[in-house]
Amino acid sequence: MDPAPEKDQKWEPKIIAFLCNWCSYAGADLAGVSRFQYPPNIRIIRVPCSGRVSANMILDALKAGADGILVSGCHPGDCHYISGNLYARRRFALLKNLLEFIGIEPERINFSWISASEGEQFAELVTKITTRIKTVGPTKRLVKKIG
Amino acid sequence: MKILKLDDSDLKTLLARWYETRDLFSPVEKNGMAGWKRIEPLEFVEPAKGVPKTSLKTFFFPQPETLLEYSARPGDEGAYVPRPVKEKARERIILGVRPCDARSVLLNSLPFADDPYFKAKKDTTLIVGFTCKQPCSTCFCSWAGGSPMDTEGMDIAMTRVEGGYLADILTKKGEGLVDHLLDNREASPEEKEQLKTLREQAQGGTGSEGGPAEILKKKNLMDLYNAPFWQGLADSCINCGACTFLCPTCYCFDIQDETIKGKGRRIRYWDSCMFPLFTQHASGHNPRSQKVQRVRNRFMHKLKYFPERFGPLSCVGCGRCIRECPVNIDIREVMRDLLSIP
Amino acid sequence: METLFSQATEAIKREARALLESGEVAAFLGFAKGSIPTVTRPFVARSPEETDKLIWNGLCVMNLANYLPGLLKSLEPARRPGEPPPEGPLPKVGVIATGCWSRNMVIQIQENQLIRERLVILGIDSPGMIDRRKLESLAGGKEIQAIEEAEKKVVISGKGFRLETARQEVLRDNCLTCTHPSPVILDKKIGPTMPERHVHEPFARIEEIERMDADSRWAWFQKEIECCIRCYACRNACPLCYCPTCFVDDSHPQWVGKSVDPVDTAIFHILRAYHCAGRCTDCGACESACPMGIKMRLFTRKLQKDCLELFASEPGLDINSPLPLTTYGPEDPERFIINGSKQQGTQGGK
Repeated sequence: MDPAPEKDQKWEPKIIAFLCNWCSYAGADLAGVSRFQYPPNIRIIRVPCSGRVSANMILDALKAGADGILVSGCHPGDCHYISGNLYARRRFALLKNLLEFIGIEPERINFSWISASEGEQFAELVTKITTRIKTVGPTKRLVKKIG
Repeated sequence: MKILKLDDSDLKTLLARWYETRDLFSPVEKNGMAGWKRIEPLEFVEPAKGVPKTSLKTFFFPQPETLLEYSARPGDEGAYVPRPVKEKARERIILGVRPCDARSVLLNSLPFADDPYFKAKKDTTLIVGFTCKQPCSTCFCSWAGGSPMDTEGMDIAMTRVEGGYLADILTKKGEGLVDHLLDNREASPEEKEQLKTLREQAQGGTGSEGGPAEILKKKNLMDLYNAPFWQGLADSCINCGACTFLCPTCYCFDIQDETIKGKGRRIRYWDSCMFPLFTQHASGHNPRSQKVQRVRNRFMHKLKYFPERFGPLSCVGCGRCIRECPVNIDIREVMRDLLSIP
Repeated sequence: METLFSQATEAIKREARALLESGEVAAFLGFAKGSIPTVTRPFVARSPEETDKLIWNGLCVMNLANYLPGLLKSLEPARRPGEPPPEGPLPKVGVIATGCWSRNMVIQIQENQLIRERLVILGIDSPGMIDRRKLESLAGGKEIQAIEEAEKKVVISGKGFRLETARQEVLRDNCLTCTHPSPVILDKKIGPTMPERHVHEPFARIEEIERMDADSRWAWFQKEIECCIRCYACRNACPLCYCPTCFVDDSHPQWVGKSVDPVDTAIFHILRAYHCAGRCTDCGACESACPMGIKMRLFTRKLQKDCLELFASEPGLDINSPLPLTTYGPEDPERFIINGSKQQGTQGGK
């Protein structure tokens, strides 16, 4: 993680975005080449498929101090591996509910479908979740600290 | 050293006095379960019976213990160079300690004899023990080499008698705690006699010389190792670490470095011989890959290897493992089985 | 006095003895009496004589399915890694199964951990099992030295006390909300069939927590796991946890720190529960095994509720219907998916 921001700076959330290689990552790329503006709060991790993203990874990001999580894959029916995102959809539904159940703010955990042609929508999505996460403030729960 | 007779108000005054310069700890009900907690002097209640669920070892062998610290920011001066942790050396008094738990500290001092971390904790901790009137059905301290009236490992040993406590002052440090009372609260000869009788009664039938430690030391290692009953234990065992983590004399640990956001620390944390990872080699080979081997190791260590190396059993007979084992593995049965091997 | 339990104990002894005598099974997995009255001991009888030790009562709380994969493997002739199994049928094991345990066996069969043909299952309807912590709190700190159990009541006694209570009052929480007491796979039935249970509000406690705000839920969660000592008894008592290397033992990356840091403990409990998602049968072994009395079943219970509501799935009831997370449907709920406003509608989804 980056060093902690200077005290006089305004807090900006750090959002870890797990983007599938075939759709959402390409969508993010399109947003870039199309010069769509979106907040610089996300740190992208490219994954082969949204089905690859495990609960371990999401919790690890939260433990390391991520203020929010975004997992995005292909739209249902468009998965490069036919059904990876459909398995993921079931798993994410349960995980999101479980994390909310134990008291993690629902705003922090976000899932989305973005296709390779949805550059504009990607920019819009990032703007939306950054605003959402700003409303709940810096993450405290599940952040590991030592010393 | 002296034996004092204290009434309940003496004890209250003492606790308040000790609290001024030291931290007090005692068993408390927490979440419905007895554990150890830092207390205010007025909170202290003598535990009715038995030992709290968790053992005394957390005070001397904390979970985790930070051994070293370091900065993990490349730009910092001395980055990645480990340095000792600055400990606040406030003295602690642990109240309500039973003889078995007090004895566990002494047993753990044997393997940790040269351990500066253990020693530092021991040096700043005073133990005010309360001897046992009522043993639980899972208690077997006499068998393990102790006694319900034992004072080993304590600085002061309190024994409940009519009208208060007989406080046996056992160490210099213990004497320091009650120095202002030494001259005007000395117990009468009758009271001292009473304490002596209580102790003798409690000792009855122990006979540490012929105790399990001595007998097992003389037995052939391989006969015990190859005994047929281990498989039966492994059949029931689920290989969790409940027994080892609740045990006051299980002291195995692992060490690792944790680095988070520019800060690093080297921690020592409890490990358990019940876990396969305990003996996993870097090569992937595991000399104790089978459950039966791990179960056997726990008991062989406590009852054979430890006595051979240090003398006593690595067990104080507190009965925690018997009470909390989810599948009722009973160390007393294991001892009996081992003793019955010719 | 003849009770439901003494009759079942005799029947189990008889059947187990017959199985071992005839050589049909190499071992029989059941329970033996423990050395303290509140705990029983899972026990493997390997000879007809040993079956005399078998018992059956309301304190038989460990899930026997947990032992099966390991026990069956231990009975196979030793072979090197990669070597094919010997020809001919492998040794069988006899085992007692209640509703939830049999469902766990179904799941283990579905997940290729067990072979049905190697099991001889004595099915027994669960009368609801007893929570030793409830007995202990009933005794109020006094030591329980004997427990007598009848169909509707339990009597505990010790030095200077004798207390009688309705069995219902001391049942484990999971047994109170159980709707499937009868085994779903079995070879022989023991004892009477229990009447079907109707639970008024099976998820009442979960709904109560759901109604709290995020801060209170977090406070509840922290309080619940506060005294965890990370002994992993919950994990090891669970028949779903058979990974050769558990995520807690992964070192690179290390998902969970090794000590009792509150964050590590929280992540352990979240992930442990989550790994049971869509597989947990609510057998309650985790809670019964926990030495610290943590109610970690509430986490898996929440997942169970969601599986039922979102995917209409109850695991282990039917060997032919896939576990919810090993399948998917085009119409799976996805209301939680965030979309940009200009986005085209996704195919399917509710």
